[in-house]
Amino acid sequence: MTPRLRKLALTAHVTASVGWLGAVTGFLALAVAGLTSQDAQVVRAAYLTMELTGWFVLVPLAFASLATGLVQSLGTKWGLFRHYWVLFKLLINVSATIVLLLYMQTLGSLADAAAEPTLSGADLDVLSSPSPVLHAGAALLLLLAATVLAVYKPRGMTRYGRRKQDLTPIRTSSPS
Amino acid sequence: MADRDADDDTGVQPHSRSTNGTPRWVKVFGGIALVLVLLFVILLLSGRGGGHGPSRHASPGDRGAHVLPSSVTEHGVRQPRP
Repeated sequence: MTPRLRKLALTAHVTASVGWLGAVTGFLALAVAGLTSQDAQVVRAAYLTMELTGWFVLVPLAFASLATGLVQSLGTKWGLFRHYWVLFKLLINVSATIVLLLYMQTLGSLADAAAEPTLSGADLDVLSSPSPVLHAGAALLLLLAATVLAVYKPRGMTRYGRRKQDLTPIRTSSPS
Repeated sequence: MADRDADDDTGVQPHSRSTNGTPRWVKVFGGIALVLVLLFVILLLSGRGGGHGPSRHASPGDRGAHVLPSSVTEHGVRQPRP
């Protein structure tokens, strides 16, 4: 990739990834509200908003982060499987995306229940679930770990990376 | 001009010669991940952490064992939990 294209890809990846992190933080706030609020309307609104946030913000950003990350790694000399920090970020991204997609089913069920016009206060107590808080908290930790890896880029090449490196000569600087 | 990756600002170069062997941080991270995955599998198999499908949230009326005394109202008037 040309330097300009590389910067564009990097910008897209950082935007999507940090945006995803921010969206999960907002989602966590909604989950806490849904779990702790004494107000039925707030509990309903929290679960309905969580489902919308999931489909229209979290899922698109998850895929955008994954896609731009793949472009970034495959389009640069870092590669996808050569360095441990890239590999770990990939695993974090893929697993978080899969769990998110699976969890959307649960969120949909919670939102459907919250949308029922005939729910009583007791039913809403049952609806208040710690599950969204737990899932959002875990996602937040994973994405923070990925962010730390992206910034610090700790050293360490995989066996595949070392083999590729041994086959590829290092280009040294030369005065123009 | 040095062939430096434009997106690298940590001083770590993609071409940096890496020492052989797996770095300690990889072993630590990998170990933690393995423990979490095993924990998740155990919870799933034991039935405590599983059931993420719609059946887990069957109609509230079926969950009589979990119904607590009503402490909220439908019209935004708050009442404290007992």
